[in-house]
Amino acid sequence: MARYSEYVKIDGAKAMVAEGINNGMIKAAARDDRIIAVLEDMGFPGAGWFKENAPHRAIECGIAEANAAVVAAGLAAEGFMPFIHSFAFAAVSRACNQIRQSILQDRFNVKILGREGAWGEPGISHNHIEIIGITRVMPNLVIVDPADIVEAEKAITAIADYYGPVFLKIEASPPPLKIFTDDYPFDLGRAYMVKDGKDAAIIACGYMLTEAILAGELLEKEGIDVRIINMSTIKPLDNEAVIKASEETGAIVTAENASIVGGLGEAVATALSEYAPAPLIRVGIEDEFSQSGRILPEIDELKTHFGLGAEDIALSIKECIAKRERLKKRG
Amino acid sequence: MAHSEELIKDLEAKADVVRRNIFTIFDASQMGHAGGTMSLVEIVTALYFHHLKIDPKNCDWPERDRLVLSKAHCCEAIYAILVELDVLPRETLKTYYHYGSPLQGHADRWCTPGIDYSGGSLGQGLSFANGLAYAEKLKALTRPPSAATSMPRFIRRDNPLYRTYCILGDGECHEGQVWEAAMFAAKYKLDNLINIVDYNKFSLDGPTNEVMLLEPFVEKWKSFGWYVIEVDGHNLRQLVDALDLACNLYGDLKPKCIIAHTVKGHGVPYWEATHTHIGRGEDISRGVQEGRAKYGEV
Repeated sequence: MARYSEYVKIDGAKAMVAEGINNGMIKAAARDDRIIAVLEDMGFPGAGWFKENAPHRAIECGIAEANAAVVAAGLAAEGFMPFIHSFAFAAVSRACNQIRQSILQDRFNVKILGREGAWGEPGISHNHIEIIGITRVMPNLVIVDPADIVEAEKAITAIADYYGPVFLKIEASPPPLKIFTDDYPFDLGRAYMVKDGKDAAIIACGYMLTEAILAGELLEKEGIDVRIINMSTIKPLDNEAVIKASEETGAIVTAENASIVGGLGEAVATALSEYAPAPLIRVGIEDEFSQSGRILPEIDELKTHFGLGAEDIALSIKECIAKRERLKKRG
Repeated sequence: MAHSEELIKDLEAKADVVRRNIFTIFDASQMGHAGGTMSLVEIVTALYFHHLKIDPKNCDWPERDRLVLSKAHCCEAIYAILVELDVLPRETLKTYYHYGSPLQGHADRWCTPGIDYSGGSLGQGLSFANGLAYAEKLKALTRPPSAATSMPRFIRRDNPLYRTYCILGDGECHEGQVWEAAMFAAKYKLDNLINIVDYNKFSLDGPTNEVMLLEPFVEKWKSFGWYVIEVDGHNLRQLVDALDLACNLYGDLKPKCIIAHTVKGHGVPYWEATHTHIGRGEDISRGVQEGRAKYGEV
């Protein structure tokens, strides 16, 4: 379904995704007492609320992610809904086998919030750009990458309403845009069309939706009308939205601040090649590791390093349109 | 109160029945984790036929005791018991390892009624048991306290809603996660949790303590804040007494660990001599033959 929303520019610092996660967590925990906070010595969104209102519902496991993941599975087996929170590399990758066997195999109702998916000051160890690829191959796991403060809050309450394991990526760096207004209808498993367009489509997730919108503005000045799709649920992928974008525009660019190996781009490529082939360019991080980089509202060193800015997306769109035209000529 | 001689005799007879069922499983599958399964027989016999609060007619009874078989490759012993309890039909014994069978190669919560934990990857069971035991504490908070005086939270002298039992192999105690879980149970004072280590002294590559040093094993558990009981894991009187003690100590705010000294392949001389971990073909058929000569056929 095509939907359109106005987006508003506001000061970046106030619009952190993490802030939305905080608000959503408190909202969800207050209305559902099955929710248990499983801590891995990395704090917890809404920790103050738990301390004040339900201290027994916050379980500190220390820096022992393997145990924490399986304790969460045990709690879920008894009808509780544990939320695990830590760095993505710790909460997920460190406990991959535990998540696979103890949570996913039995499809237990455990939610995992992984911080700093792609970039930030801590560097190569923490900037876990492979996380989407790692989680995408795991059966029974839903993957969500919210784009801004509003979507993050809505995503938390939505995954609490959904029964089953979910991995939610929290980008620690603030995007410079607050994209959605409070009436944004977040729908788990459904893509959202931020802006309609006929010349090409950008399918973005998380942090990169901001860049996609900025790229759309750049292209508009050149008379190119692009559709912008927010694919915040990476798995299961909203194939319908991909097919529609392919059939109606014929040129697709994906944008993600993650490794393009196994990421959103690959998921979209699969849907395209199986159901509605069209030229595709994946904007993302090549098959390499990340490093430290400062993130300030006016400078984002890693974004420049990896070529993930609005200008890069805009270039890819033009290239993709040219590709489509070449193919047309060839007939 | 000491248990009667009849009870122990009866349990010993039940253990023989369990062994005969295990031989049926192995005879049909010609493959299986013979050593670890045989060392487990008395432990699971004491639990299922005497100790556990379970209802074989209602495997999902919310107040049943939970049993987490962390060494899930030795599920043959549990299958042999579930058949005796009429949870599984007897014919299923011959379908172990088969496609579509309720008897999966490793214990699976969704395939087999009466199984609480899906295992296979070792070292995770105690963490899962922690989750179940902590959940009991949470559920108890919403129950009206039965004691007249108000107790501080998590300290109740009556019985828990259910107890959680975990069975660990000695080899999987090499996993770091086991000790993460041990710390967790002590920290949260999970006195409703009883862990049993089947200390059969052998893992796949050789003697457990040569593969990686576990000793001083008892002291390790004690220093992690556990109440430790050591027993001969093939002596049913010692086992039921230890389980009773572990339950009666409820309220001491300590998780319990029963270290059961066992023999790998117990009861079958060939498997005892070879410390068989997983056997195929000749290993299995010879062991089954010896076992049947000793314990009879079903």
